[in-house]
Amino acid sequence: MKDNKKIKYLCISILSVLAVIVIWYICIDVVHMKPETVFPGPVKVFRSFIDKLSSKAPDGATLQAHLWSSIKVALLGYALGAVIGVPLGIAMAWNKWVDRFVRPLFDLIRPIPGLAWIPMFILLFGIGITSKALVIFLGALIACIVNSYTGIRQTKETHLWVGDVFGATGSQKLFRIAIPTALPMIFTGLRVALGTSWTALVAAELLASTKGLGYMIQQARAISRPDIIIVGMLAIGAVGAVFDALLHLVEVKVAKGMNVK
Amino acid sequence: MKKGVLKYRTSDKTVNAVCACIAIGLFLILWYWGTAATKLGMMIPGPIEVLQAIGRGLFGKVGRHSIIAHVGYSMMRVMVGFAIGSLVGVALGLLMGWYGIAEAIFNPLFRIIRPIPPIAWIPISIIWFGLGEDAKIFLIFLAAFSNTTLNSMAGAKSVDPEVINAAKMLGASERQIFTTIVLPASVPSIFAGLQVAISSSWATVLAAEMVRSSEGLGWMIVAGMNNNDMIQILSGIVMIGIVGFILAIIMRKAEEVLCRWNKSGE
Repeated sequence: MKDNKKIKYLCISILSVLAVIVIWYICIDVVHMKPETVFPGPVKVFRSFIDKLSSKAPDGATLQAHLWSSIKVALLGYALGAVIGVPLGIAMAWNKWVDRFVRPLFDLIRPIPGLAWIPMFILLFGIGITSKALVIFLGALIACIVNSYTGIRQTKETHLWVGDVFGATGSQKLFRIAIPTALPMIFTGLRVALGTSWTALVAAELLASTKGLGYMIQQARAISRPDIIIVGMLAIGAVGAVFDALLHLVEVKVAKGMNVK
Repeated sequence: MKKGVLKYRTSDKTVNAVCACIAIGLFLILWYWGTAATKLGMMIPGPIEVLQAIGRGLFGKVGRHSIIAHVGYSMMRVMVGFAIGSLVGVALGLLMGWYGIAEAIFNPLFRIIRPIPPIAWIPISIIWFGLGEDAKIFLIFLAAFSNTTLNSMAGAKSVDPEVINAAKMLGASERQIFTTIVLPASVPSIFAGLQVAISSSWATVLAAEMVRSSEGLGWMIVAGMNNNDMIQILSGIVMIGIVGFILAIIMRKAEEVLCRWNKSGE
């Protein structure tokens, strides 16, 4: 009974995606509602995608080269942000004194979106990897801190009391009660941070760069090639989705039965 | 924070304030000393110069407008896009979270769109909508939409099944369950989504203005970059922070009023 329903829903899902592609195809390639220089059809986009895998025109590198250069920078900044952000968030939520001293400083930089630092970092460090990685680091850091903090704060006092009753030490309460409670939130934070990282990276590449997916779509705009823009956007989305799926796999392993559906 | 781990007593508030002052004071002194006493000062202006620049620009002129006007331009774009995006997002998210059929239809499409950061839409939106306001509002709509959808869906899905079963046992109709259980139970999650959405919208408007614009805070910092004017960049960043902070406060107050029973510990 349940399997039947699942299969039905799966069919509906596939149909709905197909429907959108068919409507897209009909609107552009059959009825020609918009010219190809404004809104290319799915066929054209697919052709450009195949083309872009081997051709360096018009922006000086193949799709894979742009992709790799973006991923490298994003992962560097993201890893730094996560490694520092999650423990710091936990520490801030758990320890009053860390909270008291770090929170005000954190509150100062928190409302500033990571990408607002781009112009400053570009002036200071040039348009190389340093400035981009720093921007991504800041974005990821904030998301990780906020979510780990919120997660730890969600711990029910009753659970901690239970720990007290059974004589748990402070660190046992942290590692056995608070952190498991917070894990789903921490993973949410990691996923949000990944989104922010990609976003910040694309923004940095749009503004000043010589390589990367953001640079590619910006160049394509300058010469009115929306097909390449869409290829680039889908590539950006695909990489983001793959990373997200990987994180989800880890989440299923680590945070078993928590918010995993 | 009433239910959480760390319950501050009222007397702790003074300690908190003192610690905050010490931390921020130390930061400012470090900044001042770093720029006044070392070579760093050639690259980065000190806090006093930045404050002076903000004071001068607030009602004076940075580029063609005063800083206040730049803030106004950016805010207007955010407000319109955010309002439309979050309304659509919450509605779609709740639908997808509660009705399996809606999820089956929209989730795959949503999953294709969502991983694309709104900022990656900048080039195509310029081609589609031109350089005017429409393109920017479209981008902010996307930013607000995807975050609120995701969170409303998660909220509607995470409703305690025991409560739903209890309601069913007591004879509640499907619609009653949705309006009296699922909706209120999702509110905290929705608000988490709205908070992410507003900061994401704020970031997106800046990016959009940085790429192509002639006014707004995003323009201000990118023009600073092009003119090698670090003071203008930093005063822009400070203003961006202040506005972002005010936006966050507004969202938090709204959350306090609307879901008093479940504060998210901010």
